[in-house]
Amino acid sequence: MTYNEFKEKLFSIAKEKGFEAQIDLSESSEFSLRYANNDIDQYTDASKFSVSIKILKDGKIGRVYTEQLENPEKLFEEALKNWELTDSEDEEFFYNGSGKYIEMDLYNGSFEKTSVSEKIEFVKKLYNSAKCDDRIVMVPYAIYNNFKVSKKISNTLGLDVSTTADGGYSYAMAVSKDESTHSGLWMDVGTKFSDLDPEKIGKTACQNALSLLGSKSVKSGKYRVIIKNTAFEDMLSLLISMISAENVQKNMSPLKGKQNQKIASTILNIKDVPYYKNSISNRPFDDEGVPTKETPIIENGILKSFLYDLKTAKKDNTEPTGNSLGGSIRPINLLIESGEYDFENLLKKLDDGIVIIGVDGMHSGANPISGNFSLGARGYRVINGEISHPIEQITISGNFLQLLEKVEAVGNDSKIFYGIITPSILISELDIAGE
Amino acid sequence: MLNQSLIKDIIGTVLKYGGDFAEVFVENKYENRIELTDGKIQKANTNNISGVGIRGFLGKKAIYAYTNVFEKENLLSVAKRVGEALSEVKINDLTLDFDNKKLKNRHVIYLYPRDVEKTEKVKIMKRAYESAKNYSELIKQVQIWFWEYDQEVLIANSEGVWAEDRRVKTRLMINAIAEHNGNMERGFYGPGASMGFELFDRIDVEEAAKRAARIAARMVDAEPAPAGKMPVIISNEFGGVIFHEAVGHALEATSVAKGASVFAGKLGQKVAAECVSAVDDATIPNAWGSANVDDEGTPTRRNLLIDKGVLVGYLIDKLGGRRMGMESTGSARRQDYTFAPTSRMSNTFILPGDYHPEEIIAATEYGLYAKEMGGGSVNPSTGEFNFAVNEAYLIEKGKITKPVKGATLIGKGYEIIQKIDMVGNDVGRGQGVCGSISGAVPADVGQPTIRVSEIIVGGRNK
Repeated sequence: MTYNEFKEKLFSIAKEKGFEAQIDLSESSEFSLRYANNDIDQYTDASKFSVSIKILKDGKIGRVYTEQLENPEKLFEEALKNWELTDSEDEEFFYNGSGKYIEMDLYNGSFEKTSVSEKIEFVKKLYNSAKCDDRIVMVPYAIYNNFKVSKKISNTLGLDVSTTADGGYSYAMAVSKDESTHSGLWMDVGTKFSDLDPEKIGKTACQNALSLLGSKSVKSGKYRVIIKNTAFEDMLSLLISMISAENVQKNMSPLKGKQNQKIASTILNIKDVPYYKNSISNRPFDDEGVPTKETPIIENGILKSFLYDLKTAKKDNTEPTGNSLGGSIRPINLLIESGEYDFENLLKKLDDGIVIIGVDGMHSGANPISGNFSLGARGYRVINGEISHPIEQITISGNFLQLLEKVEAVGNDSKIFYGIITPSILISELDIAGE
Repeated sequence: MLNQSLIKDIIGTVLKYGGDFAEVFVENKYENRIELTDGKIQKANTNNISGVGIRGFLGKKAIYAYTNVFEKENLLSVAKRVGEALSEVKINDLTLDFDNKKLKNRHVIYLYPRDVEKTEKVKIMKRAYESAKNYSELIKQVQIWFWEYDQEVLIANSEGVWAEDRRVKTRLMINAIAEHNGNMERGFYGPGASMGFELFDRIDVEEAAKRAARIAARMVDAEPAPAGKMPVIISNEFGGVIFHEAVGHALEATSVAKGASVFAGKLGQKVAAECVSAVDDATIPNAWGSANVDDEGTPTRRNLLIDKGVLVGYLIDKLGGRRMGMESTGSARRQDYTFAPTSRMSNTFILPGDYHPEEIIAATEYGLYAKEMGGGSVNPSTGEFNFAVNEAYLIEKGKITKPVKGATLIGKGYEIIQKIDMVGNDVGRGQGVCGSISGAVPADVGQPTIRVSEIIVGGRNK
């Protein structure tokens, strides 16, 4: 069955039974290379398509997902059963596509035009660059990945939007060794093949691993801390959960009731942007077909807005922000505005403290409901504004909202990760556990 | 599923264009996920997943491709791409006899979840909701998830393997949130098994929900855990996540074959305290991480990993086996057809020791009692692990005294298993979902109550 036949059939069954219907078609392909032990360790060249179907009546939605364009009747029945099961009092909606969509060109095509042999050369170069020094005992992996995704959302209310995007990313890990082993990681994203520089990525991973040679722990205590962009990127997942209107409405966010209140340091500005140059997560519309837009989240320390999908916006009597993504409410590009300090000046301002370059265990050691976190970490000891020695086997712990209040300075070293753009930040006090 | 002649064509095409081994993995998976919050069903999702993974080896090189367009022409062109990517080596005159012997199904299912009305599932969820909600006035929100799937796989390869397996999993997950004096905490418990709906004849739904509620209610007013190095007693069942993270991942061929594990080249050597023995066993009937065959079609088995402190085994898949010059241990797993398989844990646990758990506590002057563990992660190449303690108590003078929260345990795996100094006799297993390069797979972790003489606890400083 062709997609159009399938869609028309499903829409007509739905109409017949008094339902509205929506179909989200996603076609994706990926190419990836993993290099290890001086050879291609894994090579993947693959594609798939998927169809998410929603039916709507009486403010309730029934869902079904399939990877085969067959049996629309049976799929409708399955969605109907799920519709019958749902007894949520929150009213659901479809979007009719009437809004203004920001024009963005998300498909460059350079990844597809680049030959496989060039990509193999790339990953070899990446691997060798990560071995930049004799003290690197191993490069567990060097990875190259590019993808292409086409999305098309249509419904019986007239919504009919589509977009195609491509992008790539690459990362490597290097391991150095003295009495124990230390790992260094680096990752970059790109909207075209030439954005990715294997030598830079490899070398940075290598230097990060070397920089941890001679690591020791530090005494447990409270320290002034710089959280580097590479570590703060991970920690921001706590904020993502807290600013979801769904979590706020369901009493699962500590930010409930704090709108227009000061919740962070006055120097902190955070927003969600639908487009950011060189980001690989830009989107003109969300998974409900709602146009994406810039949404201020924290301005000068004051909580301005949560992120909304159709249902939660209606409940709060506000406009949807176009943030329904992958079944939950998430930012498109969560952006922390750059500050004025370059890293050297940030170190000087820190004076005596610790730089955290990486954290472990966000998915387990951080609690998005309380905001409390306790994470494994590594970094450097800073004395008199200069790095004195590397540190590992420590934990950092605290509460994420208290941490936002303690932001003393923001760096100008913004880095793009997948869906997050953040500089490094300086925190006046953080709990460290070590020796 | 695909017929034998098409499968032969696919395998033949990979070999013709350049592989010395070819494998086809066909999957059909039917899945239901139902979410309840605020006492109401918020979402019910049904997922139909189907696709084909085609893999080729040439020596130690591996190429993977997947597609969910089942037409012959497409499958053969994907197979050709795999073969071409491997090389131009020709292997002619393929004769392929599949070994079609049926494996005994060790994981009998009585009530296939898809045969049970969804309303029955919702009844279970609402019972769990009421039980958790009524546990204490502190419980302000409860979320319940019901998750089941029925996965049919067919795996065939150029060595003549032809294996079919059907994996049925059912799980109930409870998240309880307590609020008091402006503090919020959550408690989680998620029992599951390779069972159908009969799981709910085996577990007490109300008790399971209370367990999640207890954690949230006890932790909401708890003081922050102390920070620094101290002895830690880790309770049984999900406590086994310490072995899973700290040691298990580093025993997977994925890292051992590359030399990227601290345990590479250490077979036969003493790596742990003598009181530590551990296994990975995918054959346990109806256990959460069990299967009849692994995702390369190799029958699963019980693998002894550590015997009285001595390293005796790794977890090996075919590609890892080629690279290590060793046999597969039936440990290849993948989330679905979009992932190439690699060596993974199934049901992994430390074997029982001599002590009653009470004796271990009584023998501890000061330390942390980790009653319910959260998840964790590890970097196998450095051995650095971390995991969260969801419910913890202080031990003072051999007695459990007060609840403490927010503790994370960190360390290096190879150091920690040498520091286990007491092992209890109360082995239990808990259910989790383990994420790694071949995706998220159901895995049991387990152990008896154990004591680690010294570990860094990441808490708050006074």
